[in-house]
Amino acid sequence: MPLIRIDDKEIEAPLGETILRTALKHGIYIPYYCWHPALSIAGQCRMCLVEVQGAPKPLTACSTTVTALPPDKKIDGKYDMVVRTQSELVKRAQKGILEFLLLNHPLDCPICDQAGECQLQAYSYTFGHPASRMEFEKVHAPKRVDIGPHVVYDAERCIKCTRCIRFCEEITKTGELTLAERGVHTVVDTFPGRKLDNPYSVCTADICPVGALTSKEFRFKERVWFLTSANSVCPECARGCSVRMDAYKNEVLRLVPRENPQVNAFWMCDYGRLLSERLKERKPAARPLVRGKAGFSAFTTETFAPLLAEALAPFAGKASSAVVLVLSARMPLEEMAAALELKDRLFPEARLVVPAVEEGEDDALLIRKDRRPNLKGASLLGLKILPPGAPLAPLFAGKKAALVLREDLFALAAAGEREALKKALEGLECLVAGDYEVTPTGALSRFFLPLAGWHEMEGLTVNFQGVVQKTARVLVPPKHRRPFYDWVSRWLEAAGAEGPGPQFAPWFQRVKERIPALADKAVRDFLPAGIRIEEVTP
Amino acid sequence: MAEPLKLLTRNVGKPNSTHIDTYMASGGYEPLMKALHKMTPEQVLNEVKAANLKGRGGAAFPAGLKWSFLPRKKEGEKKEPLKYLVCNADESEPGTFKDRLLIENDPHAILEGILIAGWATQAAGCFFYIRGEMPQGARIFQRAVDQAYAKGFLGKNILGSGFDFDVWVARGAGAYICGEETALMESLEGKRGQPRLKPPFPAGYGVYGVPSNINNVETYANVPLIIQNGAAWYTSIGTPSMPGPRLYGVSGHVKRPGIYELPGGVSLREILYEHAGGILGDRPLKAVIPGGSSTPVLRADQIDVAMDPDGLKTVGSMIGSAGVIVMNDTVCMVKALLNLLEFYARESCGQCTPCREGTHWLELILRRLEEGGGKEADVDLIVEVSENIMGRTICPLGDAAAMPAISFAKQFREEFLAHAKLGRCPMGHVPMTTVV
Repeated sequence: MPLIRIDDKEIEAPLGETILRTALKHGIYIPYYCWHPALSIAGQCRMCLVEVQGAPKPLTACSTTVTALPPDKKIDGKYDMVVRTQSELVKRAQKGILEFLLLNHPLDCPICDQAGECQLQAYSYTFGHPASRMEFEKVHAPKRVDIGPHVVYDAERCIKCTRCIRFCEEITKTGELTLAERGVHTVVDTFPGRKLDNPYSVCTADICPVGALTSKEFRFKERVWFLTSANSVCPECARGCSVRMDAYKNEVLRLVPRENPQVNAFWMCDYGRLLSERLKERKPAARPLVRGKAGFSAFTTETFAPLLAEALAPFAGKASSAVVLVLSARMPLEEMAAALELKDRLFPEARLVVPAVEEGEDDALLIRKDRRPNLKGASLLGLKILPPGAPLAPLFAGKKAALVLREDLFALAAAGEREALKKALEGLECLVAGDYEVTPTGALSRFFLPLAGWHEMEGLTVNFQGVVQKTARVLVPPKHRRPFYDWVSRWLEAAGAEGPGPQFAPWFQRVKERIPALADKAVRDFLPAGIRIEEVTP
Repeated sequence: MAEPLKLLTRNVGKPNSTHIDTYMASGGYEPLMKALHKMTPEQVLNEVKAANLKGRGGAAFPAGLKWSFLPRKKEGEKKEPLKYLVCNADESEPGTFKDRLLIENDPHAILEGILIAGWATQAAGCFFYIRGEMPQGARIFQRAVDQAYAKGFLGKNILGSGFDFDVWVARGAGAYICGEETALMESLEGKRGQPRLKPPFPAGYGVYGVPSNINNVETYANVPLIIQNGAAWYTSIGTPSMPGPRLYGVSGHVKRPGIYELPGGVSLREILYEHAGGILGDRPLKAVIPGGSSTPVLRADQIDVAMDPDGLKTVGSMIGSAGVIVMNDTVCMVKALLNLLEFYARESCGQCTPCREGTHWLELILRRLEEGGGKEADVDLIVEVSENIMGRTICPLGDAAAMPAISFAKQFREEFLAHAKLGRCPMGHVPMTTVV
């Protein structure tokens, strides 16, 4: 392997590897804009210029590869390449490029939505000139261009790095974008009659190093430095993309993909990302509800749990063959384990199923037709999976009590089946429903448990590849909206059985007991990118 | 004084000079027959290498060496690997108009050179990419190609040699940058005309990703002369760093502007004062751009140089396309440079930062200086901005804009400063207004 030197560091680097990748891998930072690890090399921004000994001019680190010299030609007797990233020449080059990039770039950071996460800002402090020498009217270009349903383009802020163009050509292979016009008037544009409209379009805003492409849903909602963030997992399909959830006050404002080579690379779909918008539409339940003659009355956690335990007591033990538990693959492993615990301790004869939900087809990139994040987890726990589209009403035939969690059965049922389903649910003596909000299923229940949203709790989830990832809560739910495992603890206590407690940790312990492949894992092992486990069928 | 040569221009001026019969009447296509029937591809290649034929497009890169970069079939392989030639007829460098003369007057000389190069490299065919503004040239060349097909010089099994070769004529859309070899290929493929990041070079990844060799029109036109007369004869003309005949296009303030065919390395003074008849109006010479607008400008006291790479290096310039632009003392150098930078800023493809932004900035600084609003510090700024472009871009357009800017500002610093000091053009020029 060639031996190269970058600044003071001796590195053995594989032949043909680029200088930029080699440097980054070994902790030497070279600034760049147009290069992206998942995209082809464009070499256009010229920010990554470095000095390579023997080359007549500075070379772009993104495109210059490690080469080998014959033994008698080695530099200083041993190096195949000597690269300088801190020399005067390099600093002058970096300064020059930044000055060029900022010449016609509006210097109105205070009103730019990218401020705070802008690479132009970041590099200006490290590599740039303190003041602008541009004394002329800047070139004006179209602003607020409606380039697609979820993305807005500002040609003045654009540095023409073409990451977005290459993303559409190489990743989604939809090719909506191109450079148009020439010289300093160059802009990114869509081809005539087209829009930046593909299932992953907002990824272009993620990879845009400046404020040129912004997400319609997020732009101008909040300054990024005020956001609270948590590393989580997208719950919208079986891919389970690694995401970061950003929230402000009581709202999730956006989801952005986190790099995870084994799951989603750098991307996520627009549908998953727009979870933040759908959350805004929802009306989460804040209090546990009990149906009386005059409809629902709100209770507190403390008063609700005993009522629930008392009402379900007649169906416990031997009588539990008249009970059915319908779980959801939206539940993390800990909630599923809690449901199993509930079954084992109180309703040993009960039937327990998890309906699979499919929609559309798997696409070539990320999207899965399995629309639930944790169906794989359900099968790892040995839960019975109900095939997608299976009729739901028969589940309740001959049953007296049912527990339906995190699914609105009416949304899953075929249109023709809804009437029968309604009858079946109404025929139950006791329907307990738990969800983030009162769904049509919840509206029929006698007891309604408000459940913490995906973004409000911790839990493990297993994607279709068997990668176990951990969600984290970006928002704290109100006092009486709790994860299901929390409710189960209280339920068990109220029923006189000992529960492991309302926290995540003991339930994580229960999961480890039930899934041998996780037995020796600690919470930190799942961060940041999850663990791929062997498929285990207990 | 050297008499003008009649080698490359041997058919120029003859009646019906573009017709294949005219061309063949004076020995045309004999070099091709010689190459096909009496020489192996390797012998042809070696002859061109021995002749040290230098590229006439601007970089003066040895053509034979360039041809040898193309892959050839290896021992035991049956078929030659697919590869193409490209003829760069996008002549778009300001001050350069020599290729047009050949295309419109002697297309068969170019075509024969292409064919011999095709034989030497065992290429499958050649794309003749001609500048969009030369519709007549495109028609003439297409007719020449058709005639060559009709005579069996193109197509399958040429002259019974078993060698197949095709030529396709493609017209550009008029962008300067499409004279850059890889931008030309992008344009040829129907894409946005912008240079590719190199490596890979065209010899590995050329037109449609196929290994390709690209030469200038005049370079190909030299090939039949070399094959007909031999490398020794060829190198007896011109100088070691620019052997053979060369077309010098002289424009600007001379009495007889035009194309002069003279040996490579002839003195610039001789071209200006003997062939081109001296300076227009018998005024003092002020400046000369020796090799097309991209090459550094020379002062009047620097013209005693050989017009070859070695000679011009001694005065900090380059041979380029040998398009000589002459300026007498009526020219304002700031305005002249502004004119050039307007061109480069307009023609920058816009993909890489230094050229896109820098050329435009230079244009703004120069316009303000010429209009009288400039500052003395602008002169250093011009040099500094140009140095930030120079050597930092994907393709040579950045250098092409920076080199004249640096040389104008350095060679004529006093005149640039005078603009700032006086607050107007000292020559009383009113700047052109252009729509930005």
